[in-house]
Amino acid sequence: MWKYIGNRLLLWIPTVLVVLLVVYALAFYGAGDPIKLIFLRAPGDVAYNPERIEAIREAAGLNRPFLVQFWNYLLHLVQGDFGNSLISGRRVGNMIAHAFPITLQLGLAATVFLAILGTALGVIAALNHNRWLDNVISAFAMGVWGVPVFVSGPLLMMFFVKGLDIMDVPYGWHGLFDSMVILPLLVLAITPMALIIRQARSAVLEVLSEDYIRTARSKGIPNIQIVVRHMMKSVLIPVVSQLGLLIINMLNNAVLIETVFGIPGLGQLAVTSITTSDYPVILALVFIGSTVVVTVNLLVDIVFPLLDPRALSKKETKEV
Amino acid sequence: MKDKIDTVENAKANFLAAIKDTPSNSLKKDAFLRLIANKGAVIGLIIISLLILVAFIGPYITPYDFLLQNLEIRNQWISWAHPFGTDDLGRDILSRVIYGARTAVILSVSITIISFLIGIVVGSIGAYVGGKVDAFIVWFIDLTMSIPSLLLVIVLNTSLKPPLMRWMETQYLETKNTVFRETIWVDFVLVFGCLALIKWPKAARIIRAQILSIRNKNYVVAARAAGVTTFGILRRYIIPNAMGPVIVLFSAILGEAMVLESAFSFLGVGVRPPMPSWGNMISDGLRVWHLYPHILAAPAAVLAIITMAFSFLGDGLNDALNPRQWE
Amino acid sequence: MKAILEVKNLETTFKQRKSIIHAVNGVSFSLRKGEMLGVVGESGCGKSVSMLSIVNLLPPAATIENGQIFFDGQDIRKMNKRNMQHIRGNKIGMIFQDPMTSLNPLMKISAQIPEALIYHKKLSKSQALERSTELLELVGFSNARELLNEYPHQLSGGMQQRVMIAMALTCDPQVLICDEPTTALDVTIQAQIVELIKDLHVKLDSSIILITHDLGLIAGMVDRVIVMYSGFFVEEALVDDLYNDPRHPYTIGLLKSIPKLREQEVTRLASIEGSPPDLLEKPQFCPFAPRCRYSVERCWRKNPVLTIVPEKDNNPTHKAACWVDTRNGVQK
Repeated sequence: MWKYIGNRLLLWIPTVLVVLLVVYALAFYGAGDPIKLIFLRAPGDVAYNPERIEAIREAAGLNRPFLVQFWNYLLHLVQGDFGNSLISGRRVGNMIAHAFPITLQLGLAATVFLAILGTALGVIAALNHNRWLDNVISAFAMGVWGVPVFVSGPLLMMFFVKGLDIMDVPYGWHGLFDSMVILPLLVLAITPMALIIRQARSAVLEVLSEDYIRTARSKGIPNIQIVVRHMMKSVLIPVVSQLGLLIINMLNNAVLIETVFGIPGLGQLAVTSITTSDYPVILALVFIGSTVVVTVNLLVDIVFPLLDPRALSKKETKEV
Repeated sequence: MKDKIDTVENAKANFLAAIKDTPSNSLKKDAFLRLIANKGAVIGLIIISLLILVAFIGPYITPYDFLLQNLEIRNQWISWAHPFGTDDLGRDILSRVIYGARTAVILSVSITIISFLIGIVVGSIGAYVGGKVDAFIVWFIDLTMSIPSLLLVIVLNTSLKPPLMRWMETQYLETKNTVFRETIWVDFVLVFGCLALIKWPKAARIIRAQILSIRNKNYVVAARAAGVTTFGILRRYIIPNAMGPVIVLFSAILGEAMVLESAFSFLGVGVRPPMPSWGNMISDGLRVWHLYPHILAAPAAVLAIITMAFSFLGDGLNDALNPRQWE
Repeated sequence: MKAILEVKNLETTFKQRKSIIHAVNGVSFSLRKGEMLGVVGESGCGKSVSMLSIVNLLPPAATIENGQIFFDGQDIRKMNKRNMQHIRGNKIGMIFQDPMTSLNPLMKISAQIPEALIYHKKLSKSQALERSTELLELVGFSNARELLNEYPHQLSGGMQQRVMIAMALTCDPQVLICDEPTTALDVTIQAQIVELIKDLHVKLDSSIILITHDLGLIAGMVDRVIVMYSGFFVEEALVDDLYNDPRHPYTIGLLKSIPKLREQEVTRLASIEGSPPDLLEKPQFCPFAPRCRYSVERCWRKNPVLTIVPEKDNNPTHKAACWVDTRNGVQK
């Protein structure tokens, strides 16, 4: 078991390194000199003094070879220093520390919500296979599935605020337990939930036709017990693996949602830093993004054998 | 005894004739029939065909030029003259939506085709060459899928744009060819390139998995034992069997590409105004929706309908081509 | 001896796309206490379906159209779900064909065996585990306690089947239905399981129904045999009578087609020509007629052939569903 985890961790490091390298290289060679960017952005930029710029650049170590600079960056990274924002001069670490918890809360809440509700609905749909409840739930899941958040968000917002007039415009972040959070949460959760519903439903349908369910029924135990004891684990397996993918998608959606609803989380930070080419922030965000992705994958890989004992011991058989 | 045989023969003949021959269809026909039977899928198909049609003939049927500004009729609600109303610059929204369809279709189709081509090449190499090359390919695919795609594309976009712009400048200065003045194309190419870069790993992964799984099936191994060439295996076993999942994959990627493209233009990184894309129209509409909801509602509703259509169609295709047996 | 199980006119159909398959066409039989009954027939003849219908363990596409099923005097078809649950696993136990897929791969053995005990007999977990250990030893495991902690995929096929048998016996059922218990196992393991079932039959009080397509299996084990073809019972007899004096053309054909070890000459394997019918239509004539070498006109007329007694009036245990006396080819 621990070997398994160790293996995955070992893969994690080169992956993140390569990602960082690529993005750093893009920043370095692509958009141009950070110092020039700063100076050219200053209002008026009259003081365009090539010698002075060179001096500043030299002092900031921008003339050193690429790899040296990258190595420097990594060293700082390991110490938790993400550098300073090119725009505001604030420590990137601080900016992230402010934004991260918000996005985290939103994401976690949405994940829990959609995992539980999605699985429940999927199971219910499968148990009512071909009857109206199943058709309604399946149609709902299918319809909602592809709709992007920046479409469903505004549409729902218009519907609830203008159409039904039951809430004010959701804007800004007032904490997780404020009523303003309902709409963003809903929008964030609905699309992935559709996928979970479908996964859970097809998992249940598949399990229902398995022989061991027939055996369980032949023992005369009540249906609920069969569902919970025999089916749940098999259903949770595909759901959990899907959950990994969905959380990764949520990172993407976080960016969009926060733009729509004005929530000052990592997503908004990403958008502003990108439009202003604030590279230290961008790099830090990419680092965090990939770390989250890899961590989630790792977690899924760990939970998997807990649910399915066959994953670990593929070759163990005893003979009589 | 003869009597007995006669009657028995007769009776046998009658019996056999009574067993009605169920007409057997070819696999393709079966799949097609299943697809047609699925109402959701049919509606989806119709909608998407309409979309493609509009994309083609769009510019010829737009009542107004989508760039035409008329500051006197700004922000007008729905009317007969302007079925979707006008936006804050007086432009007809319907025309812009129609042109947006064009943008969407052109971009998504090209993205899908390119990522498919790359995916087929890479996937096949991985599956056939195997060994370290394959391991590398798999690792690389996992790597690209580890980065939140939005972030990656945006970074790529903003990084590569200035160099590209500069290149266009220098080209223009050298050749004086006005083509290089059209900076809109830079946008297009960048978005197209970046999105294709994101999507091909998904295609490659699935294609590789398909090739591997079919190759290892017993009947293919038997064919190889009987001496069928690699090319023959490809033609007779792999391609026909992989067709089903591949078609589903194609429609899925097409839908995703369309959504991605609008997501990027929504964020301001893809197609920029004044060129209409549903994404940037939604972004514009978001600023004034409480006063003029139609500006937001029109492109959003259209995009919602299209994505739902893709969803139903994709599901219908999946059911038709990969049928489950427990009906 | 009183019949513990009595089935009258059982009819079961399957819905498949647009057509209906008549899997069981009006069969009747009774099972006495302590008796071991064998049900033989080829794949698809309806033997599993008919027995599964008794406990209503059919797939969703199946419907029991008709029939009465009396268990211990009560018509269990008329029972509600709750009462039926009390019979399954408790009074009637089942063993299925493929032990690999019939055990839940995600649950330990210790979780699966005591389930019925805990629910039906209200035992505590530890009591149930005790009983389970006893049963595991009864079916031949010497390391019962360690076994409880294993998962099914860690056991071999033979072991899994023995676990299934132990599981079915937990509540001391009065009837045990074994649906092709040895089909999925290798021949050597088959022999072990066969011995086990024989042993259990002697030791325990239950009546056993053994479903199989293997005629050889039946020979040394059961008391009575029923032969099924295409959803009908075609012959019913005590096991010795069946093997020594088969009366139905199908049974005769089956027995002839078994390769014999001790023949002096080398002969071609005999087989019954033709193939079994479609089951799509309820035949109005004898289902075996197209393949039968004894068939007369009457077999083809609209007379579904019912079970009747041949000239052994002193031995009402031997019945065959045929219009012809196969000893001399003369119509009865």
